[in-house]
This record gives sequence, structure tokens and C-alpha cells, in this order.
Amino acid sequence: MAVYKKTYTRYDGALTDPRFRFLVLTRYSFEELRRRRFLSLVTLASSIWPLGCALFIYLHHNLSALKLIDIDPSKLLAIDATFFLTYLGFQSMWAFFLAAFAGPGLVSPDLTNNALPLYLARPFSRAEYVMGRLSVLLILLSGVTWVPGLMLFLLQSYLSPGWGWDNLRIAGGLLLGSLIWILLLSLLALALSAWVKWKPVAGALMFGVFFVAGAFSAAINEILRTKWGHLLNISHLMGVVWLSLFEEPLKRGNGAAFFRVARGAEIPVWCCWVALLAVCGICLYMLARRIRGFEVVRG
Amino acid sequence: MTPANIGIVFDDVSRFYGEVLGINHVNLTIPPGVTSLVGPNGSGKTTLMNLMTGLIQPTRGSVRVLGIPAGRPEEIFRRVGYCTQFDAFPKGMTGYEFLYGFLLVHGWARADAERGAVAALERVSLTETAHRKVAGYSKGMRQRIKLAQAMAHNPEVLILDEPLNGLDPMARAETIALFEQWGAEGRYVIVSSHILHEVDRISDQVILLSHGYVVAEGEISGVRSEVKDQPMQVLVRCPKPGLLASRLFQQDHVVEASIQEDGRSVMIRTLDADSLYLLLNRVVVEDGIELDGVSPADADVNSVYQYLIRPQGGAV
Repeated sequence: MAVYKKTYTRYDGALTDPRFRFLVLTRYSFEELRRRRFLSLVTLASSIWPLGCALFIYLHHNLSALKLIDIDPSKLLAIDATFFLTYLGFQSMWAFFLAAFAGPGLVSPDLTNNALPLYLARPFSRAEYVMGRLSVLLILLSGVTWVPGLMLFLLQSYLSPGWGWDNLRIAGGLLLGSLIWILLLSLLALALSAWVKWKPVAGALMFGVFFVAGAFSAAINEILRTKWGHLLNISHLMGVVWLSLFEEPLKRGNGAAFFRVARGAEIPVWCCWVALLAVCGICLYMLARRIRGFEVVRG
Repeated sequence: MTPANIGIVFDDVSRFYGEVLGINHVNLTIPPGVTSLVGPNGSGKTTLMNLMTGLIQPTRGSVRVLGIPAGRPEEIFRRVGYCTQFDAFPKGMTGYEFLYGFLLVHGWARADAERGAVAALERVSLTETAHRKVAGYSKGMRQRIKLAQAMAHNPEVLILDEPLNGLDPMARAETIALFEQWGAEGRYVIVSSHILHEVDRISDQVILLSHGYVVAEGEISGVRSEVKDQPMQVLVRCPKPGLLASRLFQQDHVVEASIQEDGRSVMIRTLDADSLYLLLNRVVVEDGIELDGVSPADADVNSVYQYLIRPQGGAV
């Protein structure tokens, strides 16, 4: 064997914290999303409702302003669980649109370009890769759901001393309800992005999962005269979970805007939790099958 | 460094993709220097490389790279650089961003990553095009940026899958010089390639694969001498080729002796190379035939490939 002289030196500089290394991917992904004008417009549009809510809360506590525009304060909607649940319902739909537009572009380009081995041939695991991509959606969707939601809650608490403490449940419901929804959306968007390489199709599939499955569940309920078909309807499952989280007798309707649960059609909350967890589990399984550092070519 | 931490060791490794065989019962120890993996398509070269990098796990057996089990990405990829055979690039990146971003993924500090990216670009002569999008690179430039990403973090082990594909002769010569340099620095450079004569030039040793099995491994001359069923070819240059040929024909081990077109050399096929060399000594002393040169004519990767793999139907 030849005699070799070891003349190279390994990198011996400082290393960044491995726990946050996945954020490199997140940062690059945000850079790419920033260049997509349509997405910026959707993000901007999603802030209209929270701004309207903030204005409403402000007016609610400003009698002189109400008098100026000639509105009777007693006829105004109350700022309560229903108000925040409705807020959550609207914003969750914006979150859905954002996930449907931004999600498909996160994993599929790497798969199309065979770029996964590049990431995974680093001190970087598959879980970190998924975390890096998932964080993009989690951060983006947080910005339109629980972050402005909690700001509204704080605004109301500030303008009405003592209200916040008495209604802590609303803040908890807002936070947890949003987190479940954005986690579900993010996982679903990534899983579809990993399986469908063509971005528009992956986006369309997102809509399909929610709306077609919703229609299918309604058909099942109608034909079989049951309410268990709702197990296929993600928005219904979400609506039931939110109702339990806000845990207050709702005065107007039965749940949030697009996630309204018809009276008498509720299925047990634990069933909804199990179904939502099952959806998340399926998404993780789909990701685990596709996020690999090599491509199996079967002969 | 203890002996256990030296080399890339495959211990009875098999890998199946469902019912499809990737590699089977592979026992190998790869030393430092340039090692070439040679075999037809589907022979298991890429599987072997993916196993070394821990991108796939063996169905049976174990792989250790410098003593590290090849399933610990945090440890192994600090010391291994991998260049896949696919044009694998995240969308929209420039050459510089590509290298810089991946050094950040390695955990390098920003300033170090900047320096590392620039140094790697210089090493593959891509400095001038560093800020152009990779998507706009030529095939040769893409191949070089792939090599740059594999070596930017200065790894001890470089695993390069078909690194010469698509390169023009000039770029190929530069790349080969780079491999030789890396090998001379004491790194482990594992190259798979179909360009056999170039593999032959740069390799310290070869691993021949066919249908998922290691057919032969080691220094190429050693492998050739083990192929007993194929007569060894030796080219002898001398001013009296006819006389030499007639003298050689008296020996049982000489299968063929043909005078070459130039009229100054004889191609000899022999079943016993050692006896032939002794005989040539005797010919010089006893018959006074001058010899200008003696060289093995088929102790190269191409010939070994033909002898060992071609009969099984492999095509490079």
C-alpha cells in the first residue's frame, strides 16, 4: 500500500447549536416565499379581519366614538367566546389558503431535483429536514391565527380590566385551537407536497381533502342516516374540538364560521381528537416514506 | 488513531430493496487513497456508496467508516463528503449560495461558511461564475459544483458517484488531478466510474462489482494476477522479435506469441507470467537477444473488467 502524508486539516471552528440548525432551511424557504407576490397578497389580505376585530374592540370601549357614529352600545355584539371563535374560524380559512399555496412548493422541488441526498448527506437528519420545512408553515400560519388572536385578547383585556383573567379559557382555546389546526394543515401540505411533485395538483389536493371529503361525509350521513360520516370531515372535527376548548355556552350559532357544527350532529370530542391525530399520523407516515436520502429503483 | 478507526469496513453486508438485490455478502476494507468502484449498471456501486454514507441501512451486516457506524449522520457526515450521480440542486440557488447554505447546514459559523464556500469554488475553478444560478450552469460546471459541495467542509472521506460523467476532456483532466491530489493528501477517495482507462490511471485500488457481489478487490496488478484462467499478456520490445518468438514457443506455458505490426515487438500470452520473466532473463543471457522493454499489456482495469465481468453479461 502507498504511504500517504496526511496534509489536510479538518474544520475545527465553532459549530452552531444543532438543535436550531434546521432553521437554515426555514430561512431559505422564507426567502423563496418572499419572492412569490401572490402569497404576499394573501398574507396581507389575511390581516384585514384581525384589524377589523381590533377596531371593533376599540369602538366597544369608546363610548364617545360610538356616539359620534350614532351606534347604540347595547346593540353591539359582545366580546366573548363566540366573538373569538368566529375570529378563529375566519382566520383558519386564511391559514388554509396560505398552506395550500405555500405548502406544495416546500418539498416537491427537492424531490423533483433529486436534492434530498444533498441535505441528508450532512450532519442533518430526516426529522430535521421535515422540521425545517414544517417550521415555515408553522411560523407563517401562526402569524395569521393565534398571534393576532392573542393580541386581540390582550387588547380587550387592557381596555376592560379584569376581563382577561375571567376569560383565560378563551386565550387557551385560541392558542391550542390554532396550534392544532396549523399543525394539521402544515403536515397535510408537506405530505401532499412530498407525494405530488406538481405543485398546482398538490394545492388542488389540499382543497380536495377538505371539501370533497366534507361532501363525501355529508353523503354518508344522508344515506346511512348517521352522524359518524363527520369523521371524514376535517372542518367538522376541528369545529367540535374548538367548541370543547372554548367551553362556553355559545349564544349565536354553534361554532366558528366555516367550522360550524350543526346542533345534534356533534360526535364525541374524543372521537374527533382520535380522528385528527390519525390524520397527523398518516401525514407523518407519508413523509417518512418519501423523505429519504436515496431513491429505490425497483427492477 | 487505532487500527479499528482506519478504513471503511464492510462486514458481511447485504442490502435488499424488497425482493431486489442491491448487494450481497460484501466483506471489504477500503484503505486511504483513490479506490475505484467498477461494474456494469445495476451492479451495486451506488448501493455500496449509499451504505457508506448511511443514507441507507444494510439489511444484514454492518458498515463502519473510520470506526463510526454508518448510521450516525451527526458524526459521519462531519468526515464524509458525498457527490451523488444525479444533478441534485435545490431550486433557484447560485453556486455560492449553494455551497454557503450547505456549510451552514453543517453547523459552520457564517464567516467560516463564507470562507469555506469561496475556497471550494476556487478549488474547482468556478470563482468567476460563483454568483450565477446553478440552473444556468453547463453540465461540466454542475459536475464541478457538485464536487465542490462534497469537499467544501474538508472531509477525510470523499465518495463520488460517477464524478467524470459529462465532463469535457479538459475538465476531466482537471478533476482527475484533483482526485489524485486528494488521494495523495491521505484522504479516502472512493470513485465510481465507467471511464475505465481514466479509473485505471488514478486508482490505487479497484473494487469490481457484478450483480451485487464483489468480484475482485485490491491493487489492479494483484487482481490481474489472480485471474488464472486468462493468459497474461506481456508486450516485449526487441530488435529481433522473430527469434524471440521462436524461442518462446518452446515453452508449454506460452499460449501465443505474435509479432506486432511495427516489427519491433512481440505480444506474448502466457499462463505463467513468473516463468516467462525468468525465461526472458535466460534469453538475454544465453541467446544474446537484446530487450528494449517488457510491460504487462492487460494488467489494467479495462482488461480485468473484460475477464471478470464481461462473461457475465455486464456492459459498461
